Order: sequence, then C-alpha cells, then structure tokens
Amino acid sequence: MRIKSSLVLALALVAVSAPLATAVQHQPTRIVSLSPSATEDLFAIGAGKSVVAVDSLSNFPSTAPITKLDAFTPNVEAIAKYKPDLVILQSSATKATSVKAALEKLKIKVFFEVTPADISGAYAEINALGAVTGNTAKAAKVVATMKSAIAKTIAAGKRSAPIAIFHEVDNTLYSATSKTFIGRVYADFNTTNVADAADTADSYGYPQLTNEYLLKANPAVIFLGDGEPVSSVASRAGWNSISAVSGNHIVELPADIPSRWGPRLVNFYQFVSSTLVAIK
Amino acid sequence: MWNWKITATSAALVILVGLAAISFGPINLSFAKILKSLLGIHGGLSGQDRTVLIDLRLPRALLAALVGAALASSGAVYQSVFRNPLADPYLLGAASGAGLGATIAITNTHGDIYRLLPVFSFVGGTLAVLTSFFISGKFFAEPQSLLLSGIAVGSFATAIQTYLQQRHSASLRPVYSWILGELTVANWQIVTWSSFYILMAIGILFLVSKQLDGLMLSDEEAFSLGINPNRLRVIAVAAATLATATAVSASGLIGFVGIVVPHLVRGITHRVTNRNLLTVALTGAAFLMLADLGARTLLSPAELPIGVITAFVGAPFFLIVLRRRRTVQS
Repeated sequence: MRIKSSLVLALALVAVSAPLATAVQHQPTRIVSLSPSATEDLFAIGAGKSVVAVDSLSNFPSTAPITKLDAFTPNVEAIAKYKPDLVILQSSATKATSVKAALEKLKIKVFFEVTPADISGAYAEINALGAVTGNTAKAAKVVATMKSAIAKTIAAGKRSAPIAIFHEVDNTLYSATSKTFIGRVYADFNTTNVADAADTADSYGYPQLTNEYLLKANPAVIFLGDGEPVSSVASRAGWNSISAVSGNHIVELPADIPSRWGPRLVNFYQFVSSTLVAIK
Repeated sequence: MWNWKITATSAALVILVGLAAISFGPINLSFAKILKSLLGIHGGLSGQDRTVLIDLRLPRALLAALVGAALASSGAVYQSVFRNPLADPYLLGAASGAGLGATIAITNTHGDIYRLLPVFSFVGGTLAVLTSFFISGKFFAEPQSLLLSGIAVGSFATAIQTYLQQRHSASLRPVYSWILGELTVANWQIVTWSSFYILMAIGILFLVSKQLDGLMLSDEEAFSLGINPNRLRVIAVAAATLATATAVSASGLIGFVGIVVPHLVRGITHRVTNRNLLTVALTGAAFLMLADLGARTLLSPAELPIGVITAFVGAPFFLIVLRRRRTVQS
C-alpha cells in the first residue's frame, strides 16, 4: 500500500517538477546557507537576493537574513520550512551525510561545503558557488579582485628577514601551524611559526604548546585568536621574558574574519600586514 | 497478579505520545491529514509534507519508541538479575564499550568507516560485556562480582576512549554529541535493523519474565520452584545486552531511561515483579518519544541532546517516586 502510493507520488512529482527541474538546476531562487563563509561568498557574488535564510552565526553581511538555524547540528525539518531549493551544508556538521541524504529525500539540492585547506580551496569554493547559483562571471571577478588585493598586501608587509610568531587558538595554548589555513596566511609574510616544531601526526596542525616551550621559542609577535585581553596575556607568569610581551607586540585578532574563508580574507591579510609593518 | 489496566493505560499512552510526536515539528502539518496519511485514506498529505511525515518524523518516533522500550526493559531485567535497584542497562560496560567503539569509528581518518559507527559501537558494547563476564569468572557463585568487573571494564574502556578523543581534538564535537544520545537523523534503515534485534531481545525477556521473579528469592528457593537460576541469568543478561547494544548503536548513550522507567512502573503498581515487563517496555517507549519531542521542539530550530532531557526530567521524577514509595512502605 505504502509502496504503491509512494510510487504514484513519485511519478506525480516527476511529472509536475520536470519542467521546473531544469530551471532550478541553473538558478536556485531560495537558498539556505548553513555556513558563515558561504554566506559571505553568496552575497559577494550577487546571489544574496536568492538567500532566504542563513544560520545563527552568519552575521555578515548585515543584510543576510539571519535565523536561529544551527549550522553544527542542522535540523532537517527546520531547514525545509524555508522551502529552499539549495542548501549550503558544512561537511563538518553533525551527521552531515545523513542530513544531506534527508534533504535530498525532500528534493532539496545540497551544496556540500568542505572546509578548504588553503586559499586556493577558498577560491575554488567561491567559483563553485558561482557555478551552482548561475553567477560564474561575478564569482570569477570576486576571486580575481581578492587575488590582486592579497598579492599587493603581501608585497607591502612581507618581512625581509624571518620573524617568529605565535597564534593563540585558546588560552590553554593550542596553536595553529603553517600547515593550517590560518597558518599559511602568516607564512606568506615570511614569518616562522613557533607551533611548527611542536606539530605531530595526531595534532592535525593544531598542537598544544606549553608555557616552557613558548618561553624557549620566544615569539616576536603574538596573535590572539581567542578573545583574551592583551593585558591578561602580558601578565601571565614568566611571559614578560618573551620578546612579543616586552616589545608590546601582542594583538587581538578581529572577530570572525580570521575564521572565515570568504572575500573578507583580504581584510585579514591587511590586518596581519599592518601588524607586521609596525614592528621594526 | 498482572495488572492489565495499567498495561492498557501505558499502551494508550504510547499511541497518544506517538501521535503527538509525529504531529509537532517546525513544519505545520494538519492533524487530520496526518491521520489520513497513516491510515492510507485518500486526502492525506502529499509532496514534501508527506516526506516530512513518512521519512523524517515517523522513523524518528519509532526509533525513540524502540530504544525506550529496549532500555527500560533491559534495566528492569538487570535490576532483578543482580538484585540491585541501582542496576541499569549500561552497568556491565555496555555503554563505555559502545562509546569506545563509536569513538574509534569517529576518530579513524583512514577511509570512510564513519558509516560503520553503529557496527563499531555494537561490537564495542557487546565485547565489553563479554569481557566483564570472562573476568568475573564466578558469575554463577556470586552475581555481584560481575557488577564489579563490569565497572572495571567500563572504566578501562572509558580511559581509552577519552585518550583517543583528546588525541583527535577535531572529533570532540561528534563524539560528545554521540555520547549525549541523538535520534536526529533516524531513517527507515536504522529503524528496520534495530527493530529486528530489539524486538527479538524483548521477546526473549517476555518469555522468561515470569521466572525472573524467582531470582529475587535465594537460589535454593528458585530451584524448588523449578527454575534454573544460572541458566536463567545468562539468558536474561544476554537478551538484555543485545537490546541495550542495539539501542546504543542506533542512538548513542541515552541515560536514565533504564533506571527511571522500571522504578516508575514499580512505584505505580507497588510491586517488584517482572510480570510488568510489558508495561515497563511500553512506558519506556512513551517516555523516550516524549523526551525526543521535547528535544526537537524546546530549543527549535536547534536540537537539545535527548540525554539532557531524560536526565533533567527523569531525575526529579525518580526522586518523587522514590519518596512516595518510602511513605507507602513506612
């Protein structure tokens, strides 16, 4: 009974949606983005007008239709409520593959976003989003603009001699090596990352350092990615012997920008560049 | 004596809660149409709404019911077998073993074994219980020794699991959400295979449930009633473990159901008997469906881990029942 009726239903759906299907494939008109980076990409490439809902962390641009949808634990039915024809889903979300399968069962197309490993992956995602939303030319233009702006920024801020930096992921001294997305940005400016030597096969580019290790490595600049106030970092026991502390080169990274791989990557490059330029 | 009225009430409760579970969600579906779709009457839901009902809500409610029934009845059985009111389905290391298996599946980056997570947690849970049996050795002489080895095996598995989890910090979130229990992406496939094992295990438990009351007596007395207590214990523990391992591999570690529901039923019926096992299973099913309804709707569109709800609602409820029982007894 159930099989029979669902067969009839499936046939009916095919019949009804066949003329629409081709149109939908080229130009989604109701996009739900569950990735802050993808949201920024979509608005930059001119697909913003088709975005009907974004997840609770997609706070940029301010015109994005922010909702309570959760990107990490996606609720299929809550997503379906927006009647999307395209959903951007992060592959790192909880049970992402099952969520994708459930959405596809509801005849909703899913763009599976894999966190890029480097900037070329970020460019590839912008182009892919351009292709899937019918904004190929605009996407290519955004990428070209980013590339030239970043090249210019690197040229302006690149150190002639290497300088040691430490990127603090959290206040238990987890850091990011030059293998990570964010680490590659620092590396582009001819810096040496103190976390590199501490990396092991199990740390996946995010090793946890110790106080002693850090004193010995003696970074000249500390980038705080965890919202710790500069004053509390400077007053940590023993840290006054670190060059970055004595030279007052501890900087708080701007919120969100360093953790997103959208067009605002340019702003992050500019921030790092201006920080490094200020150091003699 | 079997109290059929209470069993009938709990069965009615299952149907009522089940209907509520498939009626509420972010998308508004007409209740009349839901009923028509379920009964196969013309004029039910169609298109996406039908898919929401048939492929999202229905399997999830059924899985919640199955897992609730499995955990509640295994809990009741463990409590009789070990003559210990605090025994729960995870006692013999099933939870920690399954947790270790799941963590191995989640943290392993070589190849796509994430899909095999249910298999890993099932094998992990069963292996842990078998190890507990093997180590305790003198289960037949003193069942309590199995409890102790179960606790030791459980701690050992948890230690390895925590170590793996710390070494692979990227996996923290998926592991944690699995540990808190989740029914988020139940589908027909999961419902089908888990119902096979769970219904089989519960069936076995029903068959031996009358005799299980004999285990509350001394072994000599049990023998005089024509019960072989050793054989009975092995059958009961094996079936309860099968049900538990299946429930855990389908939905993660949902706590408190195995303790709360049996005591709740006993608190209402005022008797410590396994003839209530059907009532216990039905109440477990209703309880977990209700908890899952809360998990889906309280923070909607975000999901609350179902384990948080079962403990948050279960613990105070349990205390009230305990308190009432004490006043009745005194």
